[in-house]
Amino acid sequence: MSIDGIVGFLFIALSVASLYLLVAVGLSIVFGSLKYVNMAHGVLYLAGAYIGLLIASSEQYGGLLGEAGQVGLGWGFVPALILTPVVIFVLGIVMERFVAKPFYERDLLDQLLVTFGILIAAQELVAILFGRTGTIYPRPEWLTGAISLPAIGTPPGMSAASTIRVLVVALTLLLILAIFAFFKYTDYGLAVRAGTEDSEMAQMLGIRVGRPFLLIFAVGSAYAGLAGVLGGSLFNVTSGIGMEIIIPSLVIVIMGGVGSLRGTVVGALLAGLFFATATELVPSMTRASIYLLAIVVLTLRPNGIYPSTEIGQ
Amino acid sequence: MSMDTIRNSVAGDSSVLSWETWNRIKHTERFVFLSSVLFVLLFSYAFGRAPVISDVFKGYHGLAMTILIWSIFALGFNLLLGQTGLLSFGHAMFFGTASYAAALFAIHVYNEPLLVVLVGTLAAVALGVVAALILLRLHTVYFSIVALAIAQFLYFLAREPLVEITKGINGLDVKRVPLLGIVELDHEYSGLVGALLVNNLYIFIGVFFVAVVALITRIRKSPYGLIFKAIRENETRTAFVGLDVWRYKFAAFILSAAIVGLAGGLMAVNTQFAGVERLYWSVSGDIVVMTVLGGLGSLAGPVIGTFVFFYFKGIVNGFPTLGNYWLLLLALSFTAVVWVYPDGIWGMLTDFTAALRDPKGLVAKAKRRLASLVPTGGDR
Repeated sequence: MSIDGIVGFLFIALSVASLYLLVAVGLSIVFGSLKYVNMAHGVLYLAGAYIGLLIASSEQYGGLLGEAGQVGLGWGFVPALILTPVVIFVLGIVMERFVAKPFYERDLLDQLLVTFGILIAAQELVAILFGRTGTIYPRPEWLTGAISLPAIGTPPGMSAASTIRVLVVALTLLLILAIFAFFKYTDYGLAVRAGTEDSEMAQMLGIRVGRPFLLIFAVGSAYAGLAGVLGGSLFNVTSGIGMEIIIPSLVIVIMGGVGSLRGTVVGALLAGLFFATATELVPSMTRASIYLLAIVVLTLRPNGIYPSTEIGQ
Repeated sequence: MSMDTIRNSVAGDSSVLSWETWNRIKHTERFVFLSSVLFVLLFSYAFGRAPVISDVFKGYHGLAMTILIWSIFALGFNLLLGQTGLLSFGHAMFFGTASYAAALFAIHVYNEPLLVVLVGTLAAVALGVVAALILLRLHTVYFSIVALAIAQFLYFLAREPLVEITKGINGLDVKRVPLLGIVELDHEYSGLVGALLVNNLYIFIGVFFVAVVALITRIRKSPYGLIFKAIRENETRTAFVGLDVWRYKFAAFILSAAIVGLAGGLMAVNTQFAGVERLYWSVSGDIVVMTVLGGLGSLAGPVIGTFVFFYFKGIVNGFPTLGNYWLLLLALSFTAVVWVYPDGIWGMLTDFTAALRDPKGLVAKAKRRLASLVPTGGDR
C-alpha cells in the first residue's frame, strides 16, 4: 500500500471513530456517573444536524416547513459549527432537568424505554417538519478536496486525506483532551468524580453534585450536537440519523466498559479501524463490521474492555 | 384456596354470579383458552365487517390477520420481558431469521405451509441457542444493547454480504400452496363461517394464535413459569434459593425465540414474502412499543398493544391531516405510558374496573388525593 493509501485509510478510520466518539462520550459519562442510560442522546445529534443545517444554509424542505418556502439563515458552515453546540448545550440542560432527572432513581430498563420513546417521537417530529427525504450539507469550497495550508500547500503525504476528515479528527482530538483535562484538573471535574464514586457521601461533605452533573450532561450534549453538524457534512441528513448514530454509539460505550472514558475512546478507535478495514477488504461487510466487533469483544469480555466494578451489577 | 371456597359458600350463597366466582373463573386455563377461541372467532368480523363497530374501527380482514401474527410475536416477546424481566432490543433477529428460513425452505426444499412454519420456528430456536450463549452472561442494559447489536449485525449481513441467498432488499417470494396438499388457504367460505372467518388462512393463523395463548397460560400457571417471575423480581434471591438462574433464563429465552420464530414463519406464509426489513431495529422497537403500551406481564396486554399499534399504523395513518402524525402520537403515548403508568393500557383497564367494584375505596382514594394536594408541610 502506498503512503497515500495508508493516510487515506487512517483518516477514514479516525474520522468515523471521531464521530462515534463525540456522541459516545456524552453517553458514557452520563451512564457512568449518573447511572442513566440515555437513548434520547440521539435526539441531540439529530437536533445538531438540523439546527446546523438551518444556520448554514437556506433550503426548501419537504414537510410542513415546505409551505414556508426557503427556510434557514444561510450563514455558512463555520457559524453553524460554532453556534450549534451552544444551542444544543442549552437543549442538554433542558433535557437533564425535565427528562433525565425524574428518572435517575428509576429502573435502568424504564430509562431505556422512555428515552427510546422520546427518540422515536423526536425523529418523527423532524420527519413531519422537514420531510422524509435526505438533505446534504452545503460544503464550502475550502472543505472539499485535500487539505491545503497557506504558504505550504498540501503537506507531504496528506493528499489522500480530505479536509473535512482532517477537521473532524482534529476537533475531536482537541475536545477529548479537553474533557480528560476537565476531569483531571478542575474542581467541577473532581466533584463529578466524587459524585460518581459515592454521590451520597459527596453530598454530605457539602458538595452540590447536582450542578457538576448538569454541566457534564450539557457538555456531552454539546459534543453530540457538534457531531451532528460534522456527521451531517460527512454523510447525509435524514430524520432517521438519531437512531442510526445512537445504536453504534451505545454499542461502543458498552464495548468499552460502562463508566470508563478510556474504554469508550478505545472502543471508538477499534470500531473506526474495523470500519475502514472492512471498507478496504470486504466492502459489503462495512456496516455489519462494528456489530461483529462488539459481539466478539463482549463474548470474550462480558464487562467490556475496561470493566468498572460498580455498574451493571 | 380452600379457605376461599368455604367463605364463598357462607357469604355468597345468595348469588351464583358473585365477584368471587368471576375472580376464580377468569384465571382458570380453560377460561383463557375459551376466550382466546372466542376472540379469534369474532375478531375479524368485529374489526372488519360487523355493522356499527366496524364503521367505527374502519378495519379490514387482512389487517386482522397481520394483528394476530404480530400478537403472537408480542406474546413471545412478553414471555421474556414481562415474565422474566429481560429486555431484548433485538427480537427482530428471530422474526426476520424465521421468516427467511421459512421462505428459503419453501423455495429450495419443499413448500408446505405447516412444515414451512415449523422450519421457521426451528431456525429461530437455533439462533436463540447461539444468541443466548452470548447474551445471558450480560446484565440489564448490556443485554438489551448487545441483543440489538446482534440483530443489526444480521440485518446488515442479510442485506449485502448474503445477497445471493436473501436477494437483499428485494426479498424472497414464497408461492402459496394448499395446506397438506388439499386445503386451499385462499379458499373463501360463505354463510356464517364466511362471515366470521372468511378464509382458511385466517383459520390457519387463528389456530396457532390459540395454541400460543394456551402454551403461555400453561407456562404462567406452572411452577416453572413462577420461577421466571421470581427471576424478574430478584435474580440474586432466586439464586440463593438454590435455583440455577442461568438455566431458567435460557429456557425463557428459547421459548420466547420459538414463539417469535413461529410468528416469523407465519408472516412468510401470510405475506408470501420474506424481506430484510424484518431484521431491522425498527421491528425490535415496534414490538417493544406494542408490548409495553399494552401492558407488560399480562396475556391480554400484548394483544391490546398490537391492536393499538396496527390501528394507528394501518388506519389512523389513512385519516386526513391526523394520519401524518400517527407515529408521533404513538411514540408520545408510549413515552407517557412508561413515564406515568408502567402497567400499560391493560393495567389501566384492570385498575379502573377494580376501582369501580369498590366505590368506597374510590371515595377514600379521592379524599387522599385531595389531602395530598393541600400542602401539609410535614412531609419529611
